[in-house]
Amino acid sequence: MTDRVGIVAVAQIGHDYAVDKNLREICYEVTKDILSQVEMEREDLGTIISSSSDHWQGISCSNSYYYEAIGAYLKNSSKAPEDSAFAFLYGMMRIMTGHFDTALVHAVTKGSEIPGVSTLTNLYADPFIQRPVGLDDVSTAALQAVEYMDRYKITEEHAAKVVAKNRGNGLNNPYALKERVSVEDVLKSQIMAYPLKKLDCAPSSDGTCALLLASEEKTRELTDNPVWIKGIGWEVDHTYFGDRDLLNGSLRKAAKRAYNMAGIEPKEIDVAEICEPYSFQELLWCEQLGFCPEGKGGKLIDEGVTEMSGELPVNPSGGVLSNNPYVARGLFRIVEGALQVMGKAGKRQVPDVETALAHSTHGFAGQLHSVIILEG
Amino acid sequence: MAEEYKSIKEEIHLPYKWALGPVFTKFFENFKEKKIMGTKCPKCHRVLIPARRFCPRCFVDTDEWVQVSNEGTVRTWSLVNFEYSGQVKKPPYVQGLIDLDGADTALAHFIGGIDLSDLEKVPEQVKIGMRVKARWKENREGNILDIEYFEPKEEL
Amino acid sequence: MSRKVGIIGVGQTKHGRRDDVNYIDLVYDAVRAAMEDVKISPGDIDAVVSGSMPPPMEGINAPHLYWSDAMGAFGKPSMRIATCGSTGMSIAQSAYYHVASGLFDVVLAVGAEKMLENDPQGTMTTVADPFFQRPFIAGAPGVFSMQSIQYSHRYGLPEERVRMAAAQISVDHHTNALDNPYAHIRIKITVDDVLKSRIISYPTRLLDVCPSSDGACALVFACEEKAKKIAESPDEIAWVKGVGYAGDEHFFGDSDKVVWESAIKASQEAYKMAGIQNPLKDLDVAEIYNPFTYQELIYYECFGFCGKGEACKLVEDGAVLRGGELPCDPSGGTLCTNPIGATGLLRVGEAALQVSGRADKRQVPGARTALSHAMGGSDQFNGIMILGSDKMEV
Repeated sequence: MTDRVGIVAVAQIGHDYAVDKNLREICYEVTKDILSQVEMEREDLGTIISSSSDHWQGISCSNSYYYEAIGAYLKNSSKAPEDSAFAFLYGMMRIMTGHFDTALVHAVTKGSEIPGVSTLTNLYADPFIQRPVGLDDVSTAALQAVEYMDRYKITEEHAAKVVAKNRGNGLNNPYALKERVSVEDVLKSQIMAYPLKKLDCAPSSDGTCALLLASEEKTRELTDNPVWIKGIGWEVDHTYFGDRDLLNGSLRKAAKRAYNMAGIEPKEIDVAEICEPYSFQELLWCEQLGFCPEGKGGKLIDEGVTEMSGELPVNPSGGVLSNNPYVARGLFRIVEGALQVMGKAGKRQVPDVETALAHSTHGFAGQLHSVIILEG
Repeated sequence: MAEEYKSIKEEIHLPYKWALGPVFTKFFENFKEKKIMGTKCPKCHRVLIPARRFCPRCFVDTDEWVQVSNEGTVRTWSLVNFEYSGQVKKPPYVQGLIDLDGADTALAHFIGGIDLSDLEKVPEQVKIGMRVKARWKENREGNILDIEYFEPKEEL
Repeated sequence: MSRKVGIIGVGQTKHGRRDDVNYIDLVYDAVRAAMEDVKISPGDIDAVVSGSMPPPMEGINAPHLYWSDAMGAFGKPSMRIATCGSTGMSIAQSAYYHVASGLFDVVLAVGAEKMLENDPQGTMTTVADPFFQRPFIAGAPGVFSMQSIQYSHRYGLPEERVRMAAAQISVDHHTNALDNPYAHIRIKITVDDVLKSRIISYPTRLLDVCPSSDGACALVFACEEKAKKIAESPDEIAWVKGVGYAGDEHFFGDSDKVVWESAIKASQEAYKMAGIQNPLKDLDVAEIYNPFTYQELIYYECFGFCGKGEACKLVEDGAVLRGGELPCDPSGGTLCTNPIGATGLLRVGEAALQVSGRADKRQVPGARTALSHAMGGSDQFNGIMILGSDKMEV
């Protein structure tokens, strides 16, 4: 059953271009980009899976609005909303059954059009117990950060180094924010929810991206530079925030599933694209991904392991801190991981990448995580 | 005796600001001049209303702008007789799909100028195939409601 | 490459106005019911797929996160699928692919809605884009009514005839619901009651239209090996024989909704996979997504039960009514029960119960092949799943 599934082509549109465009139109453009890369017509596409969010769009049944813009007219197309890594995972399943030989996977978010990330994520919370006390993306990440700092002596400076690293990396990424930020800048920025300061938090960006998955046979037909999916894993945590172990949630096991499926150890990862909307989280996720022992996230960044020049560069694209189209960000990580494996990551290319890891998360303080391992 | 469990009430109002993009922006700019514009697909030659960036079926750019008539035919209609939150018009009112002359896709809008005093008699006044004409507002702002409604047009 | 997949467990709540439970409780009840149906525990479930209407319906963003514990999903892979009204079918299809792909052996599919906590038509209207359609698309009734009028006109059918056929469908399905203890609307009505009921959105009247319901449904999908191990008997496994899905453009005025391409294509895709050539003969029962009686007529034609313009005759001959050649919606269908996120899944669940001979008083005798269907968006999406039993024909 397990013929491999490959990524054949990727495309993305960043914030600066997208911000004053209509959502349908940028979806159309990114889809046309993929089709032209592989010299296919819309009619040739097997299936199409998209990801977006009704609340983010202010348009319910979000994919209804741009259905034909991603080539889905009279096609079998579905939507895995809220986190675009799931559109990828679902697309992969459809290819694995042999029902389709290609799957276009797509995601879009226009973060500039919304009332605000905090407003919309406050709506994740149940209306009786958690919403009235104001739990939202930022405040819950802050609660997690305080616990993290306390248990392992991680400092605000460690977290600020993540921001400086990622925003520095972002300068090399045509699709990301291009604004260098120093550790000093982060530490001096306005407190949002202690210990998170403004620059510890990701912006709210516009963006859309797409990639084409194909069966093994079709992949070989369409490209000489395939990226194979080696391992996948995802897992969800408890509903109530207070029920959870915030420093030991669902990521560890999700990653384990992916590593087991790929038959590799964490140390074999050459580059990682991780979802880090809040600076501290990059360090915590690195621990749970097995890039360093538990509690050693601070040491990891101090020793420069995750810098571009380090042993295991993390977020050469600049990460979510440089580009946060909330729902689409998971697929952007996969796109960036694929580019690394293909050797097509331009100025942000890490040398000699064989194996890349892409991670996505959504929900309070990482309630649901997914891990995808790619190989050339 | 059955137990009664409580509920709590709240209304959620969310402010959004949506980008129109160049094509929809131009479409609505033309409304100010009482013009309804479509774009024509170079492959299937259909004229799409509202004006589009691309053809949904041929999946190519449609950048030829074509003006369509302010008059058209009712493709279908319905008399709305119920209320819901956020409703723009208080019922009862008639809505419909209008095939404007020159366009290959239909536009959704209100149908006005109908006597609604006896709902059971409305089907006598509104028919599929009926000719209608746009009634524009005096002060137009560049949105879909610049057209107040489509009203029956007498054929001479 | 694709594994054989069966539905082994079906669970649902009593549907209707459920002010007695909160959203979480509702989901939990359906999930427990499904697990009890097939005597498994959360540990036996490998992954969870869930969905509901657009989150603004209940005012809870990312409902799959909220439902996590209620579905027993803690510590498991969990994913949300959402395609408006067709969500229930999309969830079922996703659960099918989770298993068919070989990634998971036993998958729980959950759909739920608590729409009576809100103004459902107000929410549904937000499906329409804000620039062109939103002021004019009056929720669901607005859209389906326009489609219905078009239908009669297209085939030159006298309005009275179409209205009568719709009324007969209404009476048949409402009567069926009396045998379904879970259904929301369980009332005895006559054709006259339907014809005289108040106009909601002409031409549809109150008794032509579904209710808004609170309710939840959960199904257990399993690979062949596990299904045979877990189910009471292999005859009680509802195998997935065919799946199909297609969507039209977003703008309601872009496509014909009478000769409705996405409905036709979805059924053709599913029939091809299931080897169905003559639907009226090859299918024993159909659970059609029928929030509106008139719309059901259009589906008969699009699904190939009859030719164009001939749907009224199917009703008049009783072919699609109880006791007919292809009884539709023995559960009462969407017309009597519509917790939208669950509704599509209920169609699949009811079809599964039919082919596995477990539909109690609403059982269609000898049913072995069933069609289930759901529709979403402003008449935009259509999805179909064909289920079949492997038990020998008696």
